Amino acid sequence: MNRRGPGKLVYLTLLAVVFFSSIPLYFSLVVASHDNSVIGQVPPPLLPGPNLLENVRRVFETVPFGAALVNSLIVSGTVTASVVLFSTLAGFAFARLKFRASNALLVIVVATMMVPTQLGIIPLYIMMSEIGWTDSLQAVIVPALVNAFGVFFMTQYLREALPVELIEAGRVDGASTRRLFWNVVLPIARPAAAVLGMLTFLTAWNDYFWPLVVLSSPENYTVQVALSNLRSGYVTDFSLALTGALLATVPLLLAFVVLGRHIIGGIMQGAVKG
Amino acid sequence: MPTALTASPPTRKPEPARRPPARRLRDRFYWWDLRVSPYLYISPFFLVFAAFGLFPLGYTAWVSLHDWSLLGDDHSFIGLGNYQQMLADPYFWNALRNTVSILVLGTVPQLLLAIGLAHLLNARLRGQTFFRMGMLLPNVASVVAIAIIFSQLFGRDFGVINWVLEMLGVGRIDWHAGVASSHIAIAVMVIWQWTGYNALIYLAAMQAVPDELYESAKLDGASALQQLRKITIPMIRPTIIFTVVISTIFGLQVFAQPQLFARSAADSITGGSSRQFQTLTLYLYEHAFNRGFQFGYASATAWLMFLLIVVAVVINYLLVRRIRSAS
Amino acid sequence: MKTRPTRPLAAACAALSVTAVVACSSDGNDDSNEPTAQDGSADDSSGAEAEPVTLTVGLFGDFGFGPLYEEYEELNPHVTIEERVAEFADHHTNLTAHLATGSGAADIEAVEAGFISQYTAVPDRFHNLLDLGAGELESRWLPWKWQQATSQDGSAVIGLGTDVGGMAMCYRTDLFEAAGLPTDRDEVSALWEDSWEDYVAVGREYMEATEGSYFFESSGNMFRAMVEQAPVGVYDTDNNIIVDSNPDIREAWDLTVEAIEAGMSNQLAAWSPEWTAAFGEGTFATIICPAWMTAFIEGNAPEADGLWDIAAVPGGAGNMGGSHLVLPAQGQHPEEAYALIEWLTAPEQQLKVFQETGNFPSTPELYDNPELTGFSKAYFNDAPLGEIFTTAAQQVEPQYQGPLQGDVLTMIGQGLGRIEEGAQNPDEAWDQVRSDLGSLQ
Repeated sequence: MNRRGPGKLVYLTLLAVVFFSSIPLYFSLVVASHDNSVIGQVPPPLLPGPNLLENVRRVFETVPFGAALVNSLIVSGTVTASVVLFSTLAGFAFARLKFRASNALLVIVVATMMVPTQLGIIPLYIMMSEIGWTDSLQAVIVPALVNAFGVFFMTQYLREALPVELIEAGRVDGASTRRLFWNVVLPIARPAAAVLGMLTFLTAWNDYFWPLVVLSSPENYTVQVALSNLRSGYVTDFSLALTGALLATVPLLLAFVVLGRHIIGGIMQGAVKG
Repeated sequence: MPTALTASPPTRKPEPARRPPARRLRDRFYWWDLRVSPYLYISPFFLVFAAFGLFPLGYTAWVSLHDWSLLGDDHSFIGLGNYQQMLADPYFWNALRNTVSILVLGTVPQLLLAIGLAHLLNARLRGQTFFRMGMLLPNVASVVAIAIIFSQLFGRDFGVINWVLEMLGVGRIDWHAGVASSHIAIAVMVIWQWTGYNALIYLAAMQAVPDELYESAKLDGASALQQLRKITIPMIRPTIIFTVVISTIFGLQVFAQPQLFARSAADSITGGSSRQFQTLTLYLYEHAFNRGFQFGYASATAWLMFLLIVVAVVINYLLVRRIRSAS
Repeated sequence: MKTRPTRPLAAACAALSVTAVVACSSDGNDDSNEPTAQDGSADDSSGAEAEPVTLTVGLFGDFGFGPLYEEYEELNPHVTIEERVAEFADHHTNLTAHLATGSGAADIEAVEAGFISQYTAVPDRFHNLLDLGAGELESRWLPWKWQQATSQDGSAVIGLGTDVGGMAMCYRTDLFEAAGLPTDRDEVSALWEDSWEDYVAVGREYMEATEGSYFFESSGNMFRAMVEQAPVGVYDTDNNIIVDSNPDIREAWDLTVEAIEAGMSNQLAAWSPEWTAAFGEGTFATIICPAWMTAFIEGNAPEADGLWDIAAVPGGAGNMGGSHLVLPAQGQHPEEAYALIEWLTAPEQQLKVFQETGNFPSTPELYDNPELTGFSKAYFNDAPLGEIFTTAAQQVEPQYQGPLQGDVLTMIGQGLGRIEEGAQNPDEAWDQVRSDLGSLQ
């Protein structure tokens, strides 16, 4: 790792990337703080206008946004915690534990991602209605509790970051697999777990079509489903739709700040031993 | 590790009776622990998959063998009829060509850029959290905003890019109309949206590369680029394999970007009036939710895509495996 | 609003498999006839005995129903109404998914005109409104509006009409003036009152006199308007696609191609951001205007206040858009749901909706009501919108629409798009349209 402070060019490059990445978000802010007519303006206005609070008020008036926020936090929070834990467990097993058919099983895990999911919604809905889970948050949460992406990600990460010798040393000391997991694997997995957590939270938060199909009562809506109410009809009010979209990103950014700090740190102590 | 396992029980066998029961229990636990724990640890995935993933897969496989309209009641069994019909449909092959083209244009630069970005991020930066969060901003923005921004970028009449091209005297391009131009535009959207995402994945892997390796390389006078090639890339090889496999899988299922790029509702189904940017997933969607809801045919498309993705992943895996391993 | 009475029947149905659910919901239909028979029409039962019921209404936009729900709930205290709204395309895909799986749809769902024929093709997925007493109300609606929701054999009606989109022609007075054309709406109407050929002829004049702007926004809409006006469209009544043999279609195609080749089309895709921006920019001079379009123009180009005006559309009357309210067969309260949509689509309520949203009523009874006919908008130079759209809606002739109507029109529209983009010449485009249509059957 380049431990000397990087040069100006590095900062400029990264700033440029962040700048280009933030354009749609900034654009949302601009439109959200004007009224709908700016959508048709060429060129569009570059600075925010005075209407943001008014539009925020309209969002809360039009859709049950507060309840939707709570629902989304429950869904995304549960899914993220579960995906990170189960993926790390499975990744540890696939990367460093010896068991019969492990390679074949990992191939199966990866292969489950290869069938396009658009059509799966119909049979999944049939299942949910058979077990009586339609219109409930668990229909969104449970199928997402662990996924192939996370398992494969953690497997590959631990293959490079978790030294075999560390596990062997633990075994010699008589540590159980469970203790190895908590004391050796988890600390080493921390940066990857933080990244996986961010990506999972993001995906769960932005998930739209399945929640729309399976959640029918407004009190069960997630944020994305509730937002769909804002861009409907013959005439879409973009300033309202983008205000909603902007509000929906605030919890995401907060989650990133919390998780982002964990990317660095933990690994250093772990790796020193190895 | 396995040698220790097989070696220890025989040495203790001669005197089982004299060992304290607690100890025996611990050995037994230890044996079970080694044998069973791995399966226990991977079981959550397989349980959830068995509960919620298996039925949809089996269901669509079954449906794909039928002439099955989503809203009709007659589901006649036609064997591989849907598959035959699809292989004979030039639009299917067109969609396959478009998908592969967008995959190559969008994924190769994306992963290379992501490695470079991760390398930059992996330095002692001021404002680290800010830069890392910044990488994910493209995934945070709403699809509505992204659609508007890119249509203002690639617009024919008022688009920013065409404005620049005209200033340079190159002339306007109708980005949506051409095959190459629409693929490039969609690839740009893909790259814009997913580069930062992959950069963070690489960054996590790079954090695990021990400092000492870089220190000694520096003593040998290796440049930053040499360090990247000689140390970083070999050390994070498993993660590179991960991103290549994942990008191949998701790249062949690309759906959101061509849909957002499309100017009209009709284009978002057919991928342009000449189907110039219809990808396989759009083709699948066209049949599943239009044209009388051909669920059987669309399911066959999904399964044929599965086979194609397997082939593509195997090819790409073999290619990327040639990266020299670190150990 | 938030109380949801338990629905044991729904739960029992949901526990069965798909095919069983379909059967189950038709059972539910019969069962629910008995307990609710006593309140026959929900209007007169002021709710003393009636069992409380929650009706869900699934829409794709603001139908202006909000105040009407409150009024209805007051009239019928046992009814609670819950509205769900989703984005246009998502709403219809979602509805299709719920119809396919046999559960999850709202008691009442809105269906837009472009989607209705694919649902009338499977009438058993919906409660037949003729069984619920709709037959005697038929004369309430424009005949073609009623027919849009009728199954092919006429044995089932799946929906009651809300608004219609009788067509007019919006035009930019400033651009017409610059081109030396008349700007008065009666004079403009007279320019092309005989035929679409005259419209194209005016277009040629316009294109010669101006530079840097176009005569209309997209060729697809022009073609579509002509098809909507023909007595027979892309289907015959036996559900055969007759694009190839119907001379009206071919004429519409040829005339549209002529306009494209004369450079009149701005080649803008409807609803794209560029299209939206163009209303204010004034890059095109005319656009086909159903009633709901006027609200769109006013909302998106406020700076063009007074520049747009409305004339008659060439070639007679025609309809674009509009919706129906349907009752999916899986719904457990067909009687109550029917009573609600019957009330919501009654002339008095449609008038209120019109005043609230500008969605044009589908009930002729209102067409001599001064509140409707006297309606005008300052934005459009005080053009008599009510009068224009009343005339437009009254003159529309019913046209049979087949199950894949939307797909057929999309394929032809894409053919015109290929000519516009220069990807094909007209003959190649037409040949591909024919072979595309062949793959539909």
